[in-house]
Amino acid sequence: MKLGLNIRLGALLAAFGVLATGLTGLYSFTQSRELLVRAAERDLLSSTQVFSRRFSTAVQSMSGDVRLIGELDVTRSIAAGAEDAASELHKSALADTFHAMLRANAAYYQVRLVSARDHGLELVRVDREGPSTVRVLGDMLQEKAHFPYVFNALGLKRGEVFLSKIGINHDVGSHAALNRPTLYISSPVTTTGGAVTGLVVITVDITRVFDELKADLPPYRKLFLANEWGDYLIHPDPSQTFGFDQGRRVLIQESIAQVQPLLDGKSPQVLAQAELGDKPEPALGAFTRMPLGLGGKSGFVVLGIAEPLSEILQSTRVLGRTVLQIVLGFSAVAIMLALFAARVVTRPLKQMTREVKRFSSEHVVGGLPTQRQDEIGELARGFDEMQARIASTMAELDASRTHLAHMARHDNLTGLANRSVFIDRLEHAILSAKRNGGCLAVLFVDLDRFKHINDTHGHGIGDMALVQAARLLTSCVREVDTVARWGGDEFVILLEAMDEEHEARRVAQTLLDRFGRRMDVNGLQIDLGVSIGISMYPRDGFDATELIQRADEAMYLSKHRQGNRYSVFGNESLT
Amino acid sequence: MMTARRLRFLARAGAVLGAALFALAVQAETLRVLAWPGYADPDLVKVFEQRHKVSVLVTVISSDENLWERVSANRGADFDVFAVNTAELKRYVDAGLSVPLTLGNIPNIARQQPRFRDRQAIPNIARGNDVFAVPYTYSEMGLIYDRQQVKVPPTSISALWDPQYKGRVLAFDTGGHNFSIAALALGRPNPFQLDEAAYKEVTAHLVALRRNVLTFYSLPEESVQLFREHRAALLFANYGTQQVQQLKKAGADIGYVIPKEGALAWLDCWTVTRGAKNKPLAEAWIDYMLEAPVGRALVERQGLANTVDSSSDAGSSKIIWLEPVEDPNRRSSIWARIVSGDRLVVLDRLP
Repeated sequence: MKLGLNIRLGALLAAFGVLATGLTGLYSFTQSRELLVRAAERDLLSSTQVFSRRFSTAVQSMSGDVRLIGELDVTRSIAAGAEDAASELHKSALADTFHAMLRANAAYYQVRLVSARDHGLELVRVDREGPSTVRVLGDMLQEKAHFPYVFNALGLKRGEVFLSKIGINHDVGSHAALNRPTLYISSPVTTTGGAVTGLVVITVDITRVFDELKADLPPYRKLFLANEWGDYLIHPDPSQTFGFDQGRRVLIQESIAQVQPLLDGKSPQVLAQAELGDKPEPALGAFTRMPLGLGGKSGFVVLGIAEPLSEILQSTRVLGRTVLQIVLGFSAVAIMLALFAARVVTRPLKQMTREVKRFSSEHVVGGLPTQRQDEIGELARGFDEMQARIASTMAELDASRTHLAHMARHDNLTGLANRSVFIDRLEHAILSAKRNGGCLAVLFVDLDRFKHINDTHGHGIGDMALVQAARLLTSCVREVDTVARWGGDEFVILLEAMDEEHEARRVAQTLLDRFGRRMDVNGLQIDLGVSIGISMYPRDGFDATELIQRADEAMYLSKHRQGNRYSVFGNESLT
Repeated sequence: MMTARRLRFLARAGAVLGAALFALAVQAETLRVLAWPGYADPDLVKVFEQRHKVSVLVTVISSDENLWERVSANRGADFDVFAVNTAELKRYVDAGLSVPLTLGNIPNIARQQPRFRDRQAIPNIARGNDVFAVPYTYSEMGLIYDRQQVKVPPTSISALWDPQYKGRVLAFDTGGHNFSIAALALGRPNPFQLDEAAYKEVTAHLVALRRNVLTFYSLPEESVQLFREHRAALLFANYGTQQVQQLKKAGADIGYVIPKEGALAWLDCWTVTRGAKNKPLAEAWIDYMLEAPVGRALVERQGLANTVDSSSDAGSSKIIWLEPVEDPNRRSSIWARIVSGDRLVVLDRLP
């Protein structure tokens, strides 16, 4: 099937429209998506920085507690090692303070005063145990000199603070802290002279600290923490954490290779793809190097906050839907506009087609949109002009054809029917008479003195006389009868439905009477006179030639008898 | 004409393809290997695959427990050959998961150092005339010392207790080995089997060690950091030559010695499972593992020693292959108390 211009043009325009809106939609979608991801990246980076600052604030606050205890007179007095009656009272007073601190700060597992002597023997120690706190006494106090939080703090000056690495605490008898991830914060206790006599250490429930900080993060954002070697300390999947504590290494740089520059100290922060949860789901993460410890020789941990890509792209999905709706809407509008435009163009074309068809079938001019001021109007005007020209040419052709037809059937001079028309009509009349059982008559008329007039007055007068004779002949017969010029000065008359011979005779007599009078031809008085022969059908012949010949013979007989008379065939003879 | 030729070509191509598929089906034999990280690197595996026209499926294990779970899971039917240390090997042989080898299929044994061919000196690899495992790689736990501070290289494990190094000794945080080295330091003949009297003595000696060390480390990186930051003089190298390499890389001027009492060493061996589908192929794998390029890869890539090189300076030193200890749980629980800082007044009260 051939598609109409209407449909093809409409489809083309609609395709253009849909393509344009689609491409615009796609472009704006990808751009917006890119912007959203960039925004999410910035947001994650700033989130990790905020988190890192808040962690550092929390650490500073806890360090303040450690320093504060170290500055207390009672602490310094106990650490100095005075063994007197007052020392036990001092210890129990300090223990009360430790109890209060543990009650006030849920993130503290233990608060201890450790001696610089006796292999780091604990002097005052209060542990958290379930909902309450318990003071550890006597033989249960332990030697801690081999712990980094001890030997490092002992090397510090008054007011300085040491932060340990984050690890699992396996200290037997450490109550709530046993087998829990911990951070130790310690600070030296000095004499007024500045000699280090001991240290204060707080065991921090690092999980709790991070949980509290994490509470501000949206639930879909996951926290990662790794030590300076990359071992996971916090991971959405807890089985990945503290692997080194079970003799295996689960390293962040092995699962998220992009963080390597952080561990090498080559970059302060990176963006990376991570995987979250037990059912790994792709996520975008921002990772930063977070200092752990104070002073120049501080360690660090790698902090990361990751968000599932699905979460980031959630808003992209909404955006995508909106863009799609817009694209679909505009496409629908584009299709409608395209169909309308196609109609606007093709309707006048159709109209013209219709009009041109009508013109060729009915020769009716008009109906073209010629009043339009555009190309279609121009085309229509062109068609209109062409139609007008064709119409006028056709009219001329019709007129000349009519004229030619008339010329072919009539005598030029007299306007009477010519010989072939007469024979046609006679044959037709014979057929009709034969069918009806009727009769007809043929009169052969010859002008008696025409040759004389021609010779005497010239052909011009002769022709005029012929014209007048023709007019006279025509006036003497009925409308239905046919008068024709046979040639020269001979005329033939067909009288139809002429049942009686006397009727034909009466017509012949009328003609004789009329031609018996003088005619005025161009001022000349002329006596023409006629000789008439009559033949009758069916009596004298059955066909046209025969009837005409018989009439001619009869006319000849009249002529032979001096003219100006008529003869009926068969009634008379030359003899 | 053209069509006929094309048909002939297709028929020939079909025949070739069919043959290839058949060959593939025949060659689809797979050797299932259980190994520690770095024991069967892909490039080494590929050489074996090409030589024997088989495919090798390597599963990497992460711990002794992990290895036991995998091998014992289906009575050894899930794997053909695996690497296990001599101390662990015993329970696989006891359980019948490991089967005797046909030594004729492993001619490269002849290339091994005599020490690794002495099957009576290596615990658990042989029972009677049956040889269950072939040594592959090992690491001994010697002493690392700072050449700046320690002018005369230590000769005895007792150097760890030497008061002149107080606060400058780094030991490893583990119950099993520390009980053994304390027993060696005390002159006990068998460090892996301690009686009640020995327990008391060793416990006290470990408290003394605690009082002499700076700290106990866990990770090799940690030991390097502590050694450098705290100017340690002596380091018990639990990770052996691996730690020597790391410290040297970090720029430390160190020496490494095997004490006269001997150095504890783990020794990993290859052994074949009872469920091995093609035992000669598994033995061919073991034979391949003893070839020079594989041994070289161990030294160069993993910092581990192989059993064929004669260059190792530990060649003549006394090595004590690890053996299962009398009561690992008891050692662990006492060690947990010692390292927590409990004093003898408390420790002596323990059962």
